Amino acid sequence: MLVRPLRRLLGRPAIVSHFHTSHSYWASRKVLQKFKLADIGEGITECEVIKWSVKENNPIQSFDPLCEVQSDKASVEITSPFDGIVKELLVKEGEVAKVGQGLCLIEVEEEVIEGAPESQLETVGSAESTLSDLEPLSEKQVASETLSRAEEIREEPTTPRRLHPMDPNYTAEPATTNTENVLATPSVRHFAKQQGVDLVKLAPGSGRDGRIEKKDVEAFLSRASTRPDTSPVAGAVFTEAGADAVVELGRTRYGMWKAMVKSLEIPHFGYSTSLDITALHDILPILNAHIPSHYSGAAPAALPVNPAAVHPVPPPPSVPPSAQYTRLTYLPVLLKTLSRAMMEWPILRSSITPESTANSGKPTLTIRPHADISVALSTPSGLYTPTIQRANTHSIYSLSSQLKHLSYLGRQTPPALTPAEMPKRGGTVSVSNIGSIGAGEFAAPVLVPGGGVAIVAIGRAKWVWDVDRGDGKGERRLKLPISWSADHRVLEGAELAAFVECWRAYVEAPQRLIGEGI
Amino acid sequence: MIPPSPLRHVARFITTYRSYSTGPITPSHSIYLSKSTNPYFNLTFEDWLFRHKPPREPLLLIYRDDPCVIIGRNQNPWKEVNLTSSRQAGIPFIRRRSGGGTVYHDLGNTNFSIHVPRTTFDRRATAQIVVRAVRALGIDANVNDRNDICVGREKMSVARLLKYTKPDEVLLYVSGSAYKIANNRAYHHGTMLISTRLDTLGDLLRSDKETMITKGVASVRSPVCNLEQFSPTVSHDKFVDAVVGEFQKEFGVDEQACVIGDSEDITNIDYIQRGMAELPSWDWAYGQTPEFEYKIERSFPWADVRADVRSRHGIITTCEVSVVNGGDAALSGAVGHLGKALQGKRYGFVEDIEGVEDERGLEIWEWLKGQMSS
Repeated sequence: MLVRPLRRLLGRPAIVSHFHTSHSYWASRKVLQKFKLADIGEGITECEVIKWSVKENNPIQSFDPLCEVQSDKASVEITSPFDGIVKELLVKEGEVAKVGQGLCLIEVEEEVIEGAPESQLETVGSAESTLSDLEPLSEKQVASETLSRAEEIREEPTTPRRLHPMDPNYTAEPATTNTENVLATPSVRHFAKQQGVDLVKLAPGSGRDGRIEKKDVEAFLSRASTRPDTSPVAGAVFTEAGADAVVELGRTRYGMWKAMVKSLEIPHFGYSTSLDITALHDILPILNAHIPSHYSGAAPAALPVNPAAVHPVPPPPSVPPSAQYTRLTYLPVLLKTLSRAMMEWPILRSSITPESTANSGKPTLTIRPHADISVALSTPSGLYTPTIQRANTHSIYSLSSQLKHLSYLGRQTPPALTPAEMPKRGGTVSVSNIGSIGAGEFAAPVLVPGGGVAIVAIGRAKWVWDVDRGDGKGERRLKLPISWSADHRVLEGAELAAFVECWRAYVEAPQRLIGEGI
Repeated sequence: MIPPSPLRHVARFITTYRSYSTGPITPSHSIYLSKSTNPYFNLTFEDWLFRHKPPREPLLLIYRDDPCVIIGRNQNPWKEVNLTSSRQAGIPFIRRRSGGGTVYHDLGNTNFSIHVPRTTFDRRATAQIVVRAVRALGIDANVNDRNDICVGREKMSVARLLKYTKPDEVLLYVSGSAYKIANNRAYHHGTMLISTRLDTLGDLLRSDKETMITKGVASVRSPVCNLEQFSPTVSHDKFVDAVVGEFQKEFGVDEQACVIGDSEDITNIDYIQRGMAELPSWDWAYGQTPEFEYKIERSFPWADVRADVRSRHGIITTCEVSVVNGGDAALSGAVGHLGKALQGKRYGFVEDIEGVEDERGLEIWEWLKGQMSS
């Protein structure tokens, strides 16, 4: 019911079958990668394997702990570089492995297209499916957002938006890419300079750690010469006769696939409404004017009278530059108010105890004392859901700083998100700010196992004429559409509706937070 | 105009600071001094700092522990620690997360821990920071090629020149080090003996199980001494100041040390709670022991008995008890039964064995039990 108006909005035909199959056939090739014991440094030539954290024929994901090795007095933890299945452990616990020797074999599902560098493949896959992603924002898709660009919910979309990196028309702006992050050997730099190629445009390259290789420069040149009107990378894949192209799923996209298949076990129900954020809109400029200096990176104002004359002032926490920001948006305020509502509603702080369902006993819920909120993060390499832990203990400024930092980590090549940002436990409520990508009004987001008991998709705010206000004459109000999906095994419809009303009471009267002492 | 009271400003800043420090996401300081002497807290806090500090920033932690024995990540407590003395003295042993050998901590020993990005980790450089600190206290310290800090009595003598004595004989160790490397961080931590009870150290670390062969790392036994033997004025506080000073100089850090304790706002952190619960648990303390084999023999009046116990991860995998000289069929049966009954049980934690009726069998069991819990 909700899908049809959305489809009309996007100019697609109104009639579509819900369980449509995707256009192309996604094939993936399994490659057995040997993971060797890397040079740990310090002149160490061999180590003893103390403990394997995985078993053979078990799946593993990047950054999962793989094994622990020891060389004389140093204990080293090794994490997996790939997502895949551990096929064989080549060194047993207690045995010694030499540097360069294989530690284990991991079966990796790689997307392979002959002749195209890895960096191109990622963009091809996503350029294609951006179009297919927007088509059915139905049960099969999770709304994703980029926290790095266009984070704000626009009040009037008159000025051109900054493009999402996954948008086919997106080109990297040199101003935003730090030239220091461009890695290339001197010979490659020289070659690029000779050919008049700006290395910044190529970052990241296909070599180790995102290094730009000579073949990247050559590929860029050949692309530039045969540039079609649309995405430059699309031309590399389509065959000359316009035949079908078979593309394999990238690592992260395949991870999404698997998570979505698991999500079919969860009975979803939806609930949508609009929040009146006119009051938020009014206080946002004030909040922006008072971003603390350790978050904004501005030097603290020099005061004529020294407050530290009697007693040293405790220094504010040091904040890395990647977590600093100069503009506060609605999202941190919405997260803060959401966390307050979650503190009043313990069931929204609960998750299904993992072992309880496994033993086919009665399932139990684990209720956490704090509100953990996961945020959907769409990066050039895929969709991630890092978690903001204990959101209720953080101020709005602190939440904004964390969001900025998470998006910075996600944008790195490879994504620098670690288990610290993406703990196995995940949050109990997920938030997806789809309004930053498009003028979405309603969505039906999907819960994945580990994503909590409910997920909310936040659309784009619009100024509307609200006839319920202004004594019948009406008033211009800024409304934000939100769509919830929740796990009906845990939550009742009435509970979710009541919870949303509790949240609304915070969002529509944010001045309450002053009285409650944020 | 009413002059603003200085207290008003102080109060205002204190309240805003409090809201920053509830549940900090990451450690925000570079130098931490722990007032707590709880070894479980200190080791867990060190690990929390290790995992949560922004990777590119250096960090120093200094702490002292109540008396305890600390074994390396991959060591065998039955081999390294004199468990009988440990129980009698009420001094526990704790397995730490970094590799290396066994050390003894008490309030006369100060522990330092230097955390740096993995890519720039250099053992010698971090050891030199501590060496320079000790030198600043007026003690001539050096680093050997295992990066242990030692103080030489007579560095050069005719005997050494003529190679009549080995260099090591002249050196006494004041510090032992261990390292941990993970992801994008690495740390070097170590002890510094200032005024430790060396007699207790010797007693607890004495191991007489020559016939226990362990796959894990064996400690390198070294003669040790306290810094106070070389300088009467040296103390924990002076050492702390010296190390903090050298650390600040080395990494260009100009912030002051942050003193913390095992207060609620820190022990309430999930990670720390779990870590402090994990360290004393059987699974960590004993269950992380690598494979070992222990062969023992005993002569009883009626027979000679030999036992060959193998264990992995703290569980007895096989136990073969056999009669060498003397005995009879009943005894052989009893020892056979004993061996089988012990399989799969936790080494050193078995209280009673069922099904051994023969009195001699029970005597053998008492002997075995005593051996396995020492």
